[in-house]
Order: sequence, then structure tokens, then C-alpha cells
Amino acid sequence: MRRTVFFGLAVALVAGAACGPAKAAGDDTVRVSLNADIRSTTPGTNRDDNTDAVVLHVVEGLVAYRENGSVGPLLAESVEISPDGKTYTFHLRSGVKFHNGATMTADDVLWSWNRYMDPATEWRCLSEFDGRGRAKVEAIEAPDPQTVVVRLDAPNALFLSTLARPDCGMTGILHKDSVAADGSWIGPVGTGPYMLADWRRGEAITLRRFADYASLPGDADGFTGGKSPKVETVEFLVIPDASAAKAALVSGAIDLVPDISPADREELKDNPDIEIVAAETMGLNAILFQTRDPLMGNQKLRQAIAASLDTAQIVHAVTDGNSVPNNSVVPTASAYYTDVQRQGFTYDPARAQALLQEAGYAGEKIVMLTNNRYQSSFNTAVFAQAMMQAVGINVELEVLEWGTQLDRYSSGNYQMMAFPYSARLDPSLSFESMMGNKDEQPRKVWEDPEALELLARSMVVTDDAERQKIFDELHRRLIDQVPMIMLFNGSDLAAFNSRIEGYRPWAASKPRLWTVSIAG
Amino acid sequence: MLRFALTRIALAVPTLLIVAVSVFLLIRLIPGDPALLMLGDMADPHSLADFRRSHGLDQPLPVQFALWLGNLAAGDLGRSITTGQEVLPLIFDRFLVSATIVVVAVALASLVAVPAGMLAAWRQNSLTDLAVVAGATLLLSVPSFWLGLLLLLLFGMKLGWLPVVGYVPFGQDFGAALAYIVLPVATLVLVEVGVIARMARASTLEVLRLDYVTHARAKGLSELAVMGRHVFWNAFAPTWTLIGLILGNLLGGIAVVETVFTIPGLGRLLVDAIFARDYPVIQGCLLFIAGVYIVVNLVVDLLYPVFDPRVTA
Amino acid sequence: MTRTWFGLPASPGALLGGLLIGVLLLAAGLGMVWTPYDPLAIDFRARLQPPGPEHWLGTDEFGRDVFSRALAGASTSVSISLFTVAAATVAGMLIGLAAGYLRGWTDRIVVSITDALLAFPGILLALGLLAVLGANKYGIILALALAYTPSVVRVVRSNVFSLRETGFVEASRVMGNGELFTMARHVLPNCIAPVTVLATGMFGWVLLSESALSFLGLGVPPPAPTWGNMLAASRPYMSQAPWLGIYPGLCIALTLLGINLLGDAVRDRLDPRMRRI
Repeated sequence: MRRTVFFGLAVALVAGAACGPAKAAGDDTVRVSLNADIRSTTPGTNRDDNTDAVVLHVVEGLVAYRENGSVGPLLAESVEISPDGKTYTFHLRSGVKFHNGATMTADDVLWSWNRYMDPATEWRCLSEFDGRGRAKVEAIEAPDPQTVVVRLDAPNALFLSTLARPDCGMTGILHKDSVAADGSWIGPVGTGPYMLADWRRGEAITLRRFADYASLPGDADGFTGGKSPKVETVEFLVIPDASAAKAALVSGAIDLVPDISPADREELKDNPDIEIVAAETMGLNAILFQTRDPLMGNQKLRQAIAASLDTAQIVHAVTDGNSVPNNSVVPTASAYYTDVQRQGFTYDPARAQALLQEAGYAGEKIVMLTNNRYQSSFNTAVFAQAMMQAVGINVELEVLEWGTQLDRYSSGNYQMMAFPYSARLDPSLSFESMMGNKDEQPRKVWEDPEALELLARSMVVTDDAERQKIFDELHRRLIDQVPMIMLFNGSDLAAFNSRIEGYRPWAASKPRLWTVSIAG
Repeated sequence: MLRFALTRIALAVPTLLIVAVSVFLLIRLIPGDPALLMLGDMADPHSLADFRRSHGLDQPLPVQFALWLGNLAAGDLGRSITTGQEVLPLIFDRFLVSATIVVVAVALASLVAVPAGMLAAWRQNSLTDLAVVAGATLLLSVPSFWLGLLLLLLFGMKLGWLPVVGYVPFGQDFGAALAYIVLPVATLVLVEVGVIARMARASTLEVLRLDYVTHARAKGLSELAVMGRHVFWNAFAPTWTLIGLILGNLLGGIAVVETVFTIPGLGRLLVDAIFARDYPVIQGCLLFIAGVYIVVNLVVDLLYPVFDPRVTA
Repeated sequence: MTRTWFGLPASPGALLGGLLIGVLLLAAGLGMVWTPYDPLAIDFRARLQPPGPEHWLGTDEFGRDVFSRALAGASTSVSISLFTVAAATVAGMLIGLAAGYLRGWTDRIVVSITDALLAFPGILLALGLLAVLGANKYGIILALALAYTPSVVRVVRSNVFSLRETGFVEASRVMGNGELFTMARHVLPNCIAPVTVLATGMFGWVLLSESALSFLGLGVPPPAPTWGNMLAASRPYMSQAPWLGIYPGLCIALTLLGINLLGDAVRDRLDPRMRRI
């Protein structure tokens, strides 16, 4: 009897499913999965990676990142830097329209800037520009409707790259209609290729093509280049679970998953309807050492550990061969990644054992922290443990919940940990994420004073060749001192069905739907 | 009856207060910092300080607690740290999703299990009884998340009959909504059928032994009349209590099934909030779940006399 | 369920239950001393291999032998369940006896706290304690024991209340025996039966909870295997390597089946109200 009831139920519900969400043939919509809902629609405020990804379809900044991590003009036609490095003159492109039809002028740039610099806006990057961080903007003015001049208190090589940072909302230029009379946020009226049409919290965000979008010529290059939208509607569907997103892709309910796992790639690669494209990102997946720990402070011991690890094999196993091994803090996709950065650690168990002897290591227990949120951190730790044990290092794993590990990271309370850094697009920022004085910021990993001085210089010098030299020197020192073992940058694996074409993942791990069109 | 209800509600207040205080303290004992989790490895001291200030996390704990309690008394549970949404409407939204699934599942399970259990008791030691007992014990032994995964694997992926992603509200598209909840509901039904059927069988057996049933039979009443008039209501009372308990417990325990089927329910909201150290949401959810648990128990107790004539409140 | 089914001396259910639990205990014992492969040994070349003659239940994403892990997991899962049930039972008996015996304010406080704990989803309790104590086996035992103690307290307390008024307890008191002696001699033994029934059921629930916690990412931290965390880790490989999830789940299900069948037998014997005619 029970069986009949269930069978009847199943039939009824299958019938229901068949008349569920169906797609019309000439449907001009691309559906994309998002692993969490966005936090707001405000650029650079109350944000996370997903928020940035969606919002940056709608708003644009004066300058934007290219695919190799360099910065190029977007809403600006060109940028001039004065010889003393303190004055930046932005010449704006003419004929750029906001979503409400208004033409963008220098006044809009000033208005947007003043809104960002108002503490009430809670802009994430406020401290970067108000003098608390690296730069202080002393004045900003608009001598004519097509020109904006910014004066800094000191030369700063990172000024433009900070403006362009995705987590700063690209310092996106907004029309004043974005906020109400009382200053409260209504919604982004930007210049981007797509307009925000609808946001159903926890479910979906709908974007519509901006017909009057003023595109740069040429192909898309990172966040700049040609960005003419091709598809009428883009729908981001919130699907928190990776297996569910994969299933939805296979069933055709969605067209694109921007970030599948290596395991899913194995499963999907034989599916003739699914295409998978990979791109190296600029995140840093590494094993960190606490150099102030009595045991790990021993440089010889750290060198021994580095020699005990076959980092190429770890990377191959952890990423299923999807990522390139990289022992350098400069990401492989960066314009600054050269032959110097390719010279990494050497796997040599015999040398590891010799170094252990020299270090006076007598089998003391070492605890390596990892977490159960990021599969790659966890797998890295498991493989590294096995290799370290093979040369006689007594290492134990402690698997923490992510929030707890972040706490330990931030207080510097650990011996070793497998840790993922999110992407920074400029090598100075990549180095800065792990370098600094531990008295001021316990989370910092590497505090060699000479290296810190080099880093500081890389942030002031604007000449590319000069910066390259600094990064090369930093890399050599890192390989010698081993404050951390860089393993790989990671890759974005995008999977999409044959209905769409033109999608390309890129180093910033941010989906770009303006490159996508519907096939045939 | 009214006095009984009022006393019970009054007694629930200290319980809820203990829950409130212990939740508040316990989640702050957990290492981890909502500001760090929000800003991640990019958090520099300035943005951390800005974030803590704007969310009131820089205040001393007693002040935070007093503020929270004060707002609670005014019916305001605060705003989520991660999304900025108001907690109370958020909880209601998610609760509706979980409650739909739980209520449908428990109702279906009871409709199948109660008659099956009674039939088994009535035909004790027959093959039917053996089949019911064996089936129920077997179902009782299957972990819900494992069953869920197997169903997902079979119907969602291998056969492709049912959608595997998320949830559609019934108000939006009835057919689709039905298709989306069938697997989670089926999982819960299969698991709960075992528990309820065994309970129904056991309580029916006990009632069948009582003198008045023997009397009724002796009077020459038909078996159907005996079962319907005398046995059913008496035997249903303890089962009813169990169903109430299941309802209350499932709301707290549904997180697992919601994880398997990616349903945006209350359980998932709570677990995600714990991982994000989203204090206002954790506090709100737990207080809400505790409240629902108490109310469900109260309703079950108040309805008990309706089913069991031997007890009067 | 009865001793008369098909004329067999003991019920086939109890026999099957005993058999399953016997196999489980044997596997747990074996898993502590010997497994075909090292359950933690990583093999880069043998990742995600389907079941075959070399690896009976296949290998996981690290190339570890699933059969060896299931054996080793049995001992972890069983010991967690045993210790949790023991801790919850002992604590619950003591608190329940104290509440039932002292009554008054002690009782009121105990009831409030147990009510609060029962209204509190075990997940948070577990995460909170695990985070404070450090993520390990002992944290889980403590957290789950705390979650299950209130049910024991309730059963014992209500038993003490009803026993206090019965003739033989009254008689013991009249005979001049001290309260404590009366409790130990007459009240406690009479609580043993219902508590045993509860404890058998609890063993299964704890096993389930441990797996459920792992599934939500709060259980025994890998790489040490438990059935729960093996099942949880199998999820990304669900359709690619279904054996990773099917076997640990089957282990849990068969163990629960054994416990439920055996539990029925125990209850039939110990709980006179439930004994069949």
C-alpha cells in the first residue's frame, strides 16, 4: 500500500516537473550560477566576490585591470602622470552615456569621488586614499567637463591599480540618480554594458543589455577593451551547492557555471554538450610558516621542509593538473612573471635530510593547520604531510573550521598552515598581502627588513623595468628564506553548454558576460 | 484549559531566557570573528576597525547583550552582518520553506504509517505484521542524508526525472514547486514512516489488550467497529505526541536534508550563519527554533485530551 | 519480536540484530589492530579506483583504500557512540536522581535547563563546544553527551517521582532506612530498565548525529576516518565515484539496523509494559 502511494505521488510530481520552467527556442537569455547571493548593489560597499562580479557588469571606473594585471584606461581616454609622480590628469572619453541617458562628465566623477570619500558611504577602500593607508588624495578638481585632476601627497605606483581594484568597486563612476535625496542608496545608475533589472534576494539577479553602451574598440581585455553586450538578458541564479550547480548545467537549467571544481571537470569533460575552459587566476595557494615560532624560526628547518616537498606533484594532485605549479608570489598570469620567477624550490629528499641534520631537528612535533572549507587547502596539507613524513619530519594535521583558521592566521598563532590568499592583480599587492612587520600586524608572514624596504620601493617606483628588478630580488630572497612555500595560483574552470559561445574566464576570477553570445 | 495554557507559556519564558543568554555567550566563545570572515585575508587594520564600528562589534559584551535584549523586547532581532537584511523577515522567509517541507512530509508519513502500524497490531504476528515491522525497522535505520544522496543520484542524475537544484515557492509556480520538493519530502517521509509506524503499532497493541476492547468484542461488535470506535482514538494519542515531537525536532534537524538538496530553509540559514559568525542571525534562529519547539509541544499537549478521553486537562 | 515467531526460540530479528552488532564489534576490534592497507596512506597513482580485487571497496580521492578506512572508521564511530552514551547515561542518572530526590528548587532549575537544552538544536551546541575544545573525538563525545543527557534526566526524574510514592519505597523509609540508602537500594535499580531501553536507542542516534555533524562539516576532522566524514567527503564525487558514499552509508545503515533490532529485543525483555502477551 505504501508503495502505491509513493508511486502515485512520484508520477504526479514528475508530470509537474515536465511543465516546470521551460525555455523557449529563441530565448535571448543566458543563465549563470552564482554560489551565493550578492550582498548589495553598491560598488565597493557591503560586498564580496560575487557582489563585485555582478556590480562590475553595471558600473565602470576611470581605469580598469587588463588580463595581465596591468591597468588601462576605461572611462578615461588617457591618464597623464606628472614628472614628480604626484599629479594624475584623467582625460575623459566623450559621449559615454549613463543608463538613464545622461552623458558622463567630470562633474559625475567628482560627485562619485566625494560620495566614496564620505565615511557614511562605508566604502571599503576609503582608508587607501584618506591618508591612513598608502595614499592621500589632497585635491581633486575638474578644470573642464572632460578633465579630472587628482593631486596626491606623495608619488605612488599603486594609485591607479588601487582605483581599479574589483573589491573597491573599480571606484565606479555613478550618476547622482543612484542615491535618493537623503543620500540613501537606490540602485546603480552606471555606464556598464548591462543594467540592473531585478534582484530577488536569495534567488536571482537579472541584468538587461544597455543599448547605448559606448564600447572601446577591439577585444575584451580584462575589465577593459571592447565590452559591447551581445545577449539581451543575463540572469545570475543563486545556487550555493556545487553539485547542484553541476546538475543544473547538465540538465540545461543554466548555461554557465563560472567555477567548477577539478573533480567536476573530470566528470563533465566527456559530456559532448558541455565545454570547459580554464584560466590561471592570481590567487596565492601556499603553506605559511610562523617565523617567530621557536621551532619554525629556524631557517634551515624551513629550507628542509621546502626540499622535502615535490611541489609540482602536489599541485598536479590537488588541482588534477588544472593549475601550473608556481613557487613565486608573482602570479603566472602577471606581466611580471619571467624566467626568474620560474626558478623555484628544488625537490631533493636527500638534501632535506641533510638540512634537517644541520638544523638540529630532533623529531619535534610540528602542527600544520588547514581547513575543511577549501578543498585545495585541505588536500595540499594532506599531500604535504605525507611528503614531510617521508623524510622524517614529525608533522601533524589540525583541521579547523574556516572561521577559526582565519582567526589563527590573523593573530599569527600557528607553526605552519595551508592557506589560500584571494587574488591581487598587482605583484606589489600580492607581496604586500604576506609581507609586513608582525608587531604591527601579526597576520603578516615575512618580515625581513631588507625585503620590506624593497617592497616599499616597488610601490613608489612607476618604471616597469625598475619594478621587475625589485620583484626578481624579492623572489630570490623568498626562495632562500622560505617564510612561505608558494604552490600555485589556482585556476578558474568555467563550464558552459553549447548554447552559448565566447565565454572566457580570466585571472581576476570574475565572470564577464559581455563576451558571451548565443550560438547559431 | 486556558489556565493550563497560560501557565505553560509563563513557564516557557525562563526557558527562552536561558536559551537567549547561553546562545549569546556560546557563540562568542567560538573562535572566529565576523569582521575577519567578511573581509577575509584582504582585511587591513583600518577596514577591520571600520567594519567593527559600523556593526557595533567594538562595544563591550555586556553592552552588546543589553542592546540586543532591549531590541528583542521591542521585536527587533537586528540585521544580518553578512547581508544586511533584517533578521526577523529573513527567518520567516526561510521558516516558511522548511515548514512547508516538514509539514507535508510528516503529514504524508503519518497518513501512511498510522494505518500501517495499526493494521500490523491488529494482525499481530501475521505476515502483514512481519512485513510492516521489518520495513519500519529497515527505514528507521537509514540515515536521512544518505538516503537523500541516493535518491538524488537515482532520480536527479541517473534518470533525470526530477530537478536537483534548490527550491521554487508554491506561490510562484505550483508545478515547479511540487517537482522541487518531491525528493526532500520523499526522503523525510521514508525516514519518519519507520518511527511513526512502530509507535502506532506499539500503542495499538497496548490498547488492544485493555479490558474494554475485550468487552466490546464480547458484545459482538464487528472488528471494524471495535477498531474504529474504541481502539483508534486511544491508540492515536501517544502517536500524536510523537508526531508533535518529530515536528519540533525536524525544524532543528532539517539542516542536513536542506544541505543535500540545497534548499534555502531555516536549518541551512543557521548553519551558514554559524560558519560566517553572523551573530544576529544565529541568535535569532536559535531563539525562533526554541520558540517553535515550545509552541508545538504546547499545542500537542493541549490537543492530547481531544484524542485521549482518559485525560482531561 | 516475540519468542514464538514461527516456533523459533528467539526472534529472528533479535538474532539478525545480534549478528550485525557482532560483526560490527568484530570489525571495530579488527580495525584497531589491523587493516589491509594503512587507512591514511596516500597513493598518488591509485586515486578514485572502483572496487576490484586489489581494493575491495575502491579507493578515495587520495588513493586511500576505502575498505581499510571503513574498518578503521568502525572503531572510531563505535567508540564515539559508546563513550557518548556512557557519559550521557551516567550524568543523566545522577542529575535525574538528584532532581527527583531533592525536588524543590533543585528540581525546578534542572527542569528549566533540560527544557532549554532540549529546545536547542544540537548542531550549535556541538559546533560551539568543538570550537572551544578543539576539533577532535573528545569534543564530539562531550558535545553529543551534553545534547543527549537531558532525555536521560527526564526519564530518570519522572521514574524517581513515581517510585517515591510506591509501597516498597515507603516501606523502606518506614523501616528507618536513610534516604540515600533507600535511593541506592530501591529507586536506582528500578530506573535501570527504562534507562537501558533509552540507551540502546541512543547508541543509534549518536552514530547518526556524528555522521550528520561530519556531513555539515563539523564532525571528526579528516584525515582520520569515520563513516560520517567518509560519507561527507564523498559528496563531490557522487556520480563519478559512487562507491565512496554508498559503502560508508551502508555501514551506518546496517549498524543502525542491528541496534534497532537488538534494542527491540532488549526492550521486550526489560520493559514489562511493552512485553508481548
